[in-house]
Amino acid sequence: MRVAIAEDSVLLREGVAQLLTDADIEVTARCGTADELLARIVQDRPDAVVVDIRLPPTHTDEGMRAALTIRQQYPDVGVLVLSQYVEVGLAMQLLADSAEGVGYLLKDRVSEVKEFIAALRRVADGGSALDPTIVSTMLKRHRSSDPLDSLTPREREVLELMATGASNAGIAESMVITQRAAEKYVSTIFTKLGIPATGSESRRVLAALLFLRS
Amino acid sequence: MAAVLPLLPERHRAPPKPAVLWTLGMAAIASGAVTIVLAPLNEGLYQPALRVLLVIWTTLPFMFAGIVAWRRRPDSAFGPLLILAGFVHQLSVLQWTSQPLLNTVGQLCDLLVVAVWLNVFLAYPTGRLPGRTERAVVITAYVAAVGLQIVVLMLGGFDERHLLTVASQPTAAEAVQNLELLLLSALVLIGVVLLWRHWRLLPPWQRRRPTQIVINCFSLTLVMLAALLIAGAFELPGFEIIRLATFAIAGLAPLAFLAGLLDARLAKAGVGELLVQLRADPTPDLRELLAHALRDPTLSLIYWLPQYGSWSDQDGNSTSLPQPDSGRRVTVVRQNGSPVAALVYDAALGEEPELVEAVSAAAGIALENGRLEAELRARLQELQGSRSRVVEAQQNERRRLERNLHDGAQQRLVALALELGLLAEKANNDPATQRRLQRARSEVAESLGELRDIARGLHPAVVSGHGLTVALESLVAVAPLEVQLKTDGLPRLPEPLEVAAFYVVSESLTNAAKHAEPKHVAVDVRVIDNTLITEIIDDGIGGADSERGTGLRGLADRVEALNGRLRIWSTAGDGTRVRAEIPCG
Repeated sequence: MRVAIAEDSVLLREGVAQLLTDADIEVTARCGTADELLARIVQDRPDAVVVDIRLPPTHTDEGMRAALTIRQQYPDVGVLVLSQYVEVGLAMQLLADSAEGVGYLLKDRVSEVKEFIAALRRVADGGSALDPTIVSTMLKRHRSSDPLDSLTPREREVLELMATGASNAGIAESMVITQRAAEKYVSTIFTKLGIPATGSESRRVLAALLFLRS
Repeated sequence: MAAVLPLLPERHRAPPKPAVLWTLGMAAIASGAVTIVLAPLNEGLYQPALRVLLVIWTTLPFMFAGIVAWRRRPDSAFGPLLILAGFVHQLSVLQWTSQPLLNTVGQLCDLLVVAVWLNVFLAYPTGRLPGRTERAVVITAYVAAVGLQIVVLMLGGFDERHLLTVASQPTAAEAVQNLELLLLSALVLIGVVLLWRHWRLLPPWQRRRPTQIVINCFSLTLVMLAALLIAGAFELPGFEIIRLATFAIAGLAPLAFLAGLLDARLAKAGVGELLVQLRADPTPDLRELLAHALRDPTLSLIYWLPQYGSWSDQDGNSTSLPQPDSGRRVTVVRQNGSPVAALVYDAALGEEPELVEAVSAAAGIALENGRLEAELRARLQELQGSRSRVVEAQQNERRRLERNLHDGAQQRLVALALELGLLAEKANNDPATQRRLQRARSEVAESLGELRDIARGLHPAVVSGHGLTVALESLVAVAPLEVQLKTDGLPRLPEPLEVAAFYVVSESLTNAAKHAEPKHVAVDVRVIDNTLITEIIDDGIGGADSERGTGLRGLADRVEALNGRLRIWSTAGDGTRVRAEIPCG
């Protein structure tokens, strides 16, 4: 797998590069700005990019804009956005019309090496990776006559994992159940919430998110 | 506001000394006497008694109106012009004598009267000729009345009792004289048109009845004069009758002018009305009342604020007096010698200084009140400015701190966590070390979490970075309430506005969640008429008061620092509505 990094803190940039190299991932570019990243994508065609949401010169939304540009112009390049804070509003913006090949994680997640690499691979393969805090925040949201109340605690757990972009296999592994059991949970949840069942794992991420936001 | 001394209005010319005016008055009477004495010397005079009477009728009113005008309007040259017109006419009577020198002077002044009258009428009311055309017409008239008259005299015109005859050429003399008369009559008729145009160009509030009467009088006199000149040139039979009629009417002109002067006095009746209005409403729109009393809708009222060393308008905005050549006049109202206020009005009103003074005196106390109010407003503005600066400085500082945390401690801690993660990967054959590294990593994670909360509390970076809509969506998503958010078509706005609106929503949602127990909250943010309107309505228990906690007070400060307004409606049992209106600049 080939990955480009855009991060203005040298310390962090080199740390992430080290992390990827250790996991046998080729780092095609180490960029300090969004423009540099966009230029290197044309040149290197990486499988995915890891991009900090705040980049020079203004440190406001340069990284976010670069991520949206890449998603629009290079749909085959996975985009993993890292940030010191995660915002539901930004997640919705990033996943506006598809959850394919996109991720949005807290920066802290880089320290959970295995999970981080797994998320990055998922994104590069066209899957999604949403920070668990986003999903749990949205699950906590109060609703009157809430269909979520009809879910069992186990089903809620599955929904949470599913919404972060986990595959059936990933759900099975996290919950220590069989993959078939995981599939069964997913279809029950969809029925209970009245969401039409969809095949692709990234499509069900978006469906779950839109449900949680409504 | 800089402590610059204000520009004081132009200095007025001092009125003429009483001795000068008395002398002029005596001279006028004496000249009248001379007329009476001279008349019998000329046997050819038509209706001598009537003629003498009409000469006096057309000279003394000019002189006395001139003397009154000069005394009361020392700034205007109109008074002296009137006096001059009277004396010139009086001198023309000398042509009745056979004494060569006196006769010469009399002959020279004969038609000069026409030019002087034209000058006087066209210079009404300032004493200055208003335009280039007027100046050209009057100068031509003077040249014709004196220059051509000299030529006529040199050619032996007017029965040769004068000193100027060089050659006796009666035909030529008559031709030149006819030319002179026709030229003057044409100029006089142009004068009528100019007067009419002058009247038409006056702004409506200056087209007052007295002015109209004066101008009508002047016009009629000029028309008669033109008729007289034409009759003279063609030797028409009714010449002498026309002459008497013209003089009879000409005498009315200065009287009409005097009546106009008097009207300024009469207008003081408006002052009484002003006093009644001031008594009825102690906090009136003073400018409106003064404009009405002075019949000048363009009047403006400014106040002197000694603390700021500057003039200010009614709203406390610093301003200055108009330049002397701006077409505006200024009357400074003083109390105990120090300026309180100034009336700035149309220069034409400067012709009625008594009225302006009477009105400003009547408004004395109200003006003092108005000044205090303007001062209060200026202070409020100053306060508002300093509050805005405090809030802005605070916000900048908070933004700076958040940025420092983000780029410094937070990045370093993430890098440290990453390092610990990598080490843990490497130590997978040493469970004890791995456990300790895991513990260290979760410590760092906790610190990062705390730091994140601090940074977020310092400054909502997501607002500056991604706009109010995104920030509010996140805010609503984490609110422990059912919130309906409407931000349709909301554009990006200046950061301070977005941040303020964000805090209004955030604080209102926190309050609602804490105290109001609502089932439902509606948040609506939109821009209407260049104003950012942020409204939060819940269906909770209501009864919130703005003194509860510092939250709402702080919000109001934040909103008011941006010239906005925060209002809260919260009746017990009827929910709470918070509405912030902030102008978009």
